[in-house]
Amino acid sequence: MVQPLRDRRAGFEETLLRTAEESGWEAGTLRRASLYRDAIHRFTRNRAAIVAAIAFSIIFVYVWITPWLSSQDPYALDFSKAYLSPSWDHPFGTDQFGRDLFVRTALGGRVSIGIGFAATIAIMGVGILYGALSGFLGGWIDNALMRFLDALYGLPYLPFAIITLAIFGTVNFWTMVVALTIASWFTTARVMRGQIITLKENDYVRAAHAVGARWHRVLFRHLLPNTLGVIIIFVFLELPGVVLGEAFLSFIGLGINPPKASWGTLAQEGYGEYQAHPYMIIIPSLAIAWLILSAFFVADGLRDALDPQARKNF
Amino acid sequence: MALLEVDDLRTYFKTREGEVHAVDGVSFTLEERKTLGIVGESGCGKSVTVLSIMGLVQSPGRVVSGSVRFEGQELTTMKPRRLEDIRGDRIAMVFQDPMTSLNPTLTIGTQVTETLRRHRDLSRQQARTRAIELLQEVHIPNAAERLDDYPHRYSGGMRQRVMIAIAIACNPKLLIADEPTTALDVTVQAGILDLLEELRDEHDMAMIIITHNMGVVAETADDIAVMYAGQIVEQATALDLFDRPEHPYTEALLGALPKLEGDARHARLVTIPGRPPDLLIPPDACRFAPRCGYAGMDDCAIVPPELREIRPGHWVRSAHPTSERAAEALVTR
Repeated sequence: MVQPLRDRRAGFEETLLRTAEESGWEAGTLRRASLYRDAIHRFTRNRAAIVAAIAFSIIFVYVWITPWLSSQDPYALDFSKAYLSPSWDHPFGTDQFGRDLFVRTALGGRVSIGIGFAATIAIMGVGILYGALSGFLGGWIDNALMRFLDALYGLPYLPFAIITLAIFGTVNFWTMVVALTIASWFTTARVMRGQIITLKENDYVRAAHAVGARWHRVLFRHLLPNTLGVIIIFVFLELPGVVLGEAFLSFIGLGINPPKASWGTLAQEGYGEYQAHPYMIIIPSLAIAWLILSAFFVADGLRDALDPQARKNF
Repeated sequence: MALLEVDDLRTYFKTREGEVHAVDGVSFTLEERKTLGIVGESGCGKSVTVLSIMGLVQSPGRVVSGSVRFEGQELTTMKPRRLEDIRGDRIAMVFQDPMTSLNPTLTIGTQVTETLRRHRDLSRQQARTRAIELLQEVHIPNAAERLDDYPHRYSGGMRQRVMIAIAIACNPKLLIADEPTTALDVTVQAGILDLLEELRDEHDMAMIIITHNMGVVAETADDIAVMYAGQIVEQATALDLFDRPEHPYTEALLGALPKLEGDARHARLVTIPGRPPDLLIPPDACRFAPRCGYAGMDDCAIVPPELREIRPGHWVRSAHPTSERAAEALVTR
């Protein structure tokens, strides 16, 4: 009996697949070519991004290593050493109390970067949850949540942070994180909402519903992982903003309480002396600029690496 | 009692211009282990019909009336939570485009075990073992190794096989395949159809196959329902429908199939003139009348024809079914 044509075709298809499997190139080089592996490859090809990543790491290392290695006490007052210009013993000079600014800038960097990361994570958490729920649930809930967000958007940044800090009464690491989070989670929420709304129209979301998946599984297991690229980029875009926000609040006098310092408070102390001792304001300002610029270029590189489609448009 | 009884199902979509009557009074029954083919052109309501059965119609769409009884249970009024328990377990669905129906960020294994772990009390390891069996059952070579791959490493045909594996994971009584071969290469299509047939027989499933390709249902389906503008216009056994089509639309559809033999091979392809009616304001008459070569001989363009049983098991919604036209022709001659 003649084998029906379509059976032969199906057999042919399977033979092809099997041959490809057995020939071994499936199992070899291509084995681990995932999205993120590709992205890392593209990132390492991007010179600006690599330089920025190295710059980012340098400041990180400086900030964390210096206080351990240095023999200088960042809190000891010694007026005989006040206002020393940068020298070999004090690479960044000393402040009005004779404290070594090389170590104090590193310690201030710990505070600034620490607040930056903590607040960024908090902003991501709040923004992602709010935006994802809003976009996923849709309808009047989405409408209500977004109009509330619009209202918050209308209010300026500063009063939010000031009011929050005023409510807490003191300014320390965590109150600063809370203040910055409250003042700047809106954009993340909006972007996430947009992402989720786009993604939830995908067939695989309908397919997940069709196998009986509950809503929380669809949202957290199917939708959120698909936004990871955007989240990673946003972390590096949000971080400089938060660091700048902290520096700004410190500069206008809402900074972390002495004797602790952040880059913002160091710059503020230096501001009073900028004519006689310009290094006191220049160095913390440069540190802030260094961190922000390197984070921005890392973000840029990540965006190109994670979204090769967008890059072609340039 | 039939496995699935759909009675006068109506699904409307609210739009700015008004309500679109996407499914307008569809009724059919499906016995266990039988296959129903739903045929019709794009936009005639095939997909919305099955999505309504599954309770997956999304806003602004809404099932406004009618009933869907599955194993004696009414699905249209069922609590969403209970319906979720049935979906994927008792009724499963295979979607049209396998390239987009798998989540690109989850491994094949995760997506196959998802259904199993949702509906069966299996440990991670048990689910994994079962997933490998399922992938073998849909003829994916090296199933155990391919389990941890991401979807982009699968071809279209293999992805559709994975979708089918996910669908049959919990031994559903009813498998709905919404244009399962439309997005695939012609060479792969036949393989997928064979697989569906094979699994239907092995798992004692009933099946609904939606397609706009007559050839797909010709061999696979027991019964065929032809849909036009949100309604079933003809329903019969596959053999009867192909041998003796009654509705002018079905006739035209079959006539439009390209001929591969004889002189007709060189002739122009036959088409049906006109376009389907706007479902926003469905005409209060026979919906096919404007395109029908036999309309106008009586009042069928004014009075909507009912679905009637022209002979046992053969239902048609037309004032001019072929056999009656033939009889009239005899009388006038």
